[in-house]
Amino acid sequence: MVRVKSRYLLCEINVSDRRDLLKLDDRAVAGSVKAAVARTHGDYGAALCSIRFCVKYLNAHTGIVFLRFHKGFYKLLWSALPFITSIECRGQIIPCFLNCLHVGGTIRTCQKFLIRYNTRQLHQMLPKYKNKGNEEKRKIQEAILSCSLTGGGNKALEDELESEEEDDEFIMPLYHSDLRH
Amino acid sequence: MSAAKAKMREKKMRNQPASVQYPSPSHVESRAENGGEGDDAGSRTTLSISSGTSVTRAELTRILGGQSDAHPSWKRQQTPPVRHGWVRGHHNGDGGYDTEMPNHITAGAFARARAAEVSAMLKAATELTCSSHVFRALPKHMRRRAMSHNTKRLPRRLRNVANRMREKSLQAGLKKKKELVKSKSRKARRRHGNLLLEFNRRQRKNIWLETHIWHAKRFHMVKKWGYCLGVRPTYKCYRPCYRAMSSHCLLQDLSYYCCIELKGEEDKLLAALTQLTCKEAGPTFAAAMFLSGARQGSVTVYRAGQYPSDPLGPVTFLWRPQTPGLTPRQLWIWAHPALKQDLLPELQSVCQCSEAMAPPVEPEVSRAEADPSPQAEPNPDNELKAGAKRKRCCKDAGEPPAKRILGDGTRLPTSPVTWRSSSTGIVINDLTMEIVRYRLIGPQSHSVLAETLEAATVCDELKSSPFWWPEHCKDRSNMKLHQQQTDVFNVLKGIYSSGELPPGTVLGLTVDDPRLTLPRQKVKAAPCVNRDQVGDEEKRNQLMLKGVPLQCCQSFLWEQSVRENVTDNKISEQELNRMRTELLVPGSRLGPGPQQGRVPVLLVHQPGKQVGDELGSWGSGWDLLLPKGWGMAFWVPLVYRGVRVAGLHMSLKHSQDKAAPHFPHDYPDCPAGSRFQEEQEAEFLETFRRRPPAKRTNYIKHGCLAPFRCPWQQLAEEWELLATDGGAERKGDGQTQKARKSHEVMEEVTSQQTVAAASPPSFTVLSFLGHKFHKLNCIFLSAHQNRKSLRLLSSWCRPLTCRGQRRGRGAAVALPLSDSAVTSFHSAHKMSVVWVRLTLLSKGKPEAHAMVCAPTAEDLKLFGKSPENCGPQEPPHKDHYKSRINHKKKSSKTATPSQVSDDPTASTDPHSPSDLILGLWPDPLPSVTSHCSRVTLGWVTQGDFSLSVGRGEALGFVSVSGLLHTLLRQPPELRGTLLLRNPTSLHYRFVRLNIDV
Repeated sequence: MVRVKSRYLLCEINVSDRRDLLKLDDRAVAGSVKAAVARTHGDYGAALCSIRFCVKYLNAHTGIVFLRFHKGFYKLLWSALPFITSIECRGQIIPCFLNCLHVGGTIRTCQKFLIRYNTRQLHQMLPKYKNKGNEEKRKIQEAILSCSLTGGGNKALEDELESEEEDDEFIMPLYHSDLRH
Repeated sequence: MSAAKAKMREKKMRNQPASVQYPSPSHVESRAENGGEGDDAGSRTTLSISSGTSVTRAELTRILGGQSDAHPSWKRQQTPPVRHGWVRGHHNGDGGYDTEMPNHITAGAFARARAAEVSAMLKAATELTCSSHVFRALPKHMRRRAMSHNTKRLPRRLRNVANRMREKSLQAGLKKKKELVKSKSRKARRRHGNLLLEFNRRQRKNIWLETHIWHAKRFHMVKKWGYCLGVRPTYKCYRPCYRAMSSHCLLQDLSYYCCIELKGEEDKLLAALTQLTCKEAGPTFAAAMFLSGARQGSVTVYRAGQYPSDPLGPVTFLWRPQTPGLTPRQLWIWAHPALKQDLLPELQSVCQCSEAMAPPVEPEVSRAEADPSPQAEPNPDNELKAGAKRKRCCKDAGEPPAKRILGDGTRLPTSPVTWRSSSTGIVINDLTMEIVRYRLIGPQSHSVLAETLEAATVCDELKSSPFWWPEHCKDRSNMKLHQQQTDVFNVLKGIYSSGELPPGTVLGLTVDDPRLTLPRQKVKAAPCVNRDQVGDEEKRNQLMLKGVPLQCCQSFLWEQSVRENVTDNKISEQELNRMRTELLVPGSRLGPGPQQGRVPVLLVHQPGKQVGDELGSWGSGWDLLLPKGWGMAFWVPLVYRGVRVAGLHMSLKHSQDKAAPHFPHDYPDCPAGSRFQEEQEAEFLETFRRRPPAKRTNYIKHGCLAPFRCPWQQLAEEWELLATDGGAERKGDGQTQKARKSHEVMEEVTSQQTVAAASPPSFTVLSFLGHKFHKLNCIFLSAHQNRKSLRLLSSWCRPLTCRGQRRGRGAAVALPLSDSAVTSFHSAHKMSVVWVRLTLLSKGKPEAHAMVCAPTAEDLKLFGKSPENCGPQEPPHKDHYKSRINHKKKSSKTATPSQVSDDPTASTDPHSPSDLILGLWPDPLPSVTSHCSRVTLGWVTQGDFSLSVGRGEALGFVSVSGLLHTLLRQPPELRGTLLLRNPTSLHYRFVRLNIDV
């Protein structure tokens, strides 16, 4: 009701070389976003980008990033994200692009979206698995089980969270990315 | 970051997912700061420098490590760093990740990474951070008001957690909060008996009037003169009250006025009382009109034989009409409670009543000394009382009495109220709170009375009863008197206005219980208009010209036994309502039976404005005198007749509109008045000092010497000196010269003071000015004092009309204003100040303590040209004390106290800077007369915009010698034009001076 409002962008960093992912850190991501904004929107954009901009979360294994922007001008900043072609991290230039998956009003909605997104990916992955090696398939099954074994109590809460989502979530067309193999 | 802060953050972030990355320590610091302003971020587990990182990694390892056997390289990579301060670039030994990370994607690893993230996110999304409350987990539509207070509003599954949290917070609160004293429940407190006990406890310090509860619900109450009195209603009613006074009726409870009863032989009483008064000041106790008992008189009382110097205050008095059988006369003196403490000892000494008689102890009272109300004792037994009632009485004997206090609750039951003189046989009886007195002000007050009261119905019961009325009905002469009184009362209904009656008329009456005729709804009493009968017209004229016939002034209210009987036999409200329910036709009127009380009352006419030419008899009305205990029984029916009820504030305005001095505000010469002035000054000073210095009015700059009091004594003395010295060279004495002169005179005054202090005091000796509690030596002339000279002075003040004739009543007696006449008048009235009324000629609202000044010749010339001229301005004065205060502040800051005392200026300064108040002149004051550019003549004691005149009006005193001095210099057509200046203003306004006689 009475608070500073933000938009959280849930983005996926796509790199050509998977190994580069582990080199990332949040400062590098933030720096590249700032540079891209400055490049596309000039000083004005750079100044806007200094207000409440922050990288909230970075998973170096999956390449998921939460970016926080001020609600007032997040669209402007968002428009600069496609211009990121590489992230410079400790002298190494990692070619990549950012793919925005979700825009949320709170970090919780982003988290919840991420849960849904990841589980869907896993569920899609299992029937597509064609290889004979049972080892890998078993691992996928285990992974699916480990993330869905949350207990009945949490399920109920999740439903409530879903309903809460309607208030908080800022629904935008999502950029779905295909699974990369 | 402090340890506590880190701990808190860790607690908060316990359930948040880890941001999986490898930051450098410096970066971690900056992130931590960033996170400080964030709300519920996800990535901040990495903040606690190396341990935090290691935890993250350990977690990740736990998640991913299950398959470490399949990917040994992963395990190596994920091994938590042992070294403190993990830096990625210095990750020596392994040589970076890129070699470790496989170039291809295996489905298992991919799935694992996603699964780990999902579980971390799930944990973060479902579990709450510690700082938030339970119901944050609830969706908005399930949130309820006051959920944190009442956990039952929460869904059941969340209640446990909420209860735990609530207890925790309560315990934290309890540590600070002091344990409250557990009082009885409200229901128990409001139970009738307990409530009465509580009321009686609260009445111990200050007397409550009988209408106290009624007033306390509607009025701002103050504790004054030992009473709890209503000042003004809580609702806005200033103008409605004025309208009621001038066109309908305004009701006040004046029961706090003290009645002192004197009994004795007429000549002995008069001999004693003449010492207190003087014929010069108007009719006294011995005036034939009052002595007969047909009129109520009012007189200013002085200390025995001290006239005109030592006044006590104004009183009203009423003689009981002489009855053939009774030789000792009875006199009631009504005095203000502030005056009583001075008046009663004086009366005792005059009447030589020193023997205190023990209060009459009733047999039932003896058992309980603590009983606060010996007067209100249980009724004598009779068969009419219900059995339940008697049982209650028996029960009461054992318990502390919870009875309604009637009369004075603050007085000890053993303290004497009666004093007897052995030599003269006079008995003084203090009847404080024994008689209820209501005042009705306004032209329609008689119609209100006529509608409320109904003359008592005769009951012809032959057997003896405990009530007084049936006994009285047996006597033929009593009945005849009652018939006469009823006739007069009926005639009274027909008159047009209360002001038409001769002032002070008294009518005795016996009336039915007014509760029986209580209307269902509030009605507005309208005047009775049937004037068709000729006989009535004659009777009305008779009543208006001659007043009430003498025999009708008799009332049984004078008899103590009857009063007590009436008080004791009052039917309670409860009983009355029970009888109403038993009526055959619901809502019909209850007939007056024998057991219902007949109340003897006394109606006393209150004169309105008696002085001055305009608005004659404005604000006249009636006083209703009742036996005690019947207050509310009459109050509510009166209120139901559409009267307005007012408090002390309105009675002040009433007397102001009547141009009469109000006790004790306008009696600075009386002890009560001077006490009041001191209280008022202290109060004003208190409010003044409460303001920040920068927001205070600087009265020094305004040239106002005494904004909170009026130094009458100094004024009179200065004018005395000016008049005696200036008498020789009066001709052509300009104001500026006079001002300079008065400065010289002031020096003389101060030199004389030192002499006077040494010499033995006589009447004219100047008392020491600096002394705060000096006795006033100046004489206050007001309408109650020397009338003849006042009339003369009044005629001098009026401007001459164009034909050279004086207007008004004083024309016949007037001596022309001349030097010789003034000198003779002045010699007769040395050191006097006179009560005047000032009417503003243009706009402006005078305030209390405004200065009355004499205009200069130029001012008058300007005024003569254009009377609409607003008036001259006072040049702003300089505040010399301000720098001294500032200096003192500075020195106290820099220097130690010893150094301050060494300061030569401070030591020579007569007033130490500590008692200097910014904006106020310190004592002793310089010359009050010549301080400003216009010479001060006096001050206003009360002033306001007068609704009756439609202009600002002020009442106050001016010095007689100053006034004469000024009048002599004024051109005859502008005589009596003075200037008035408020203490907070520099603007003088022209006023017309009137001395009303």
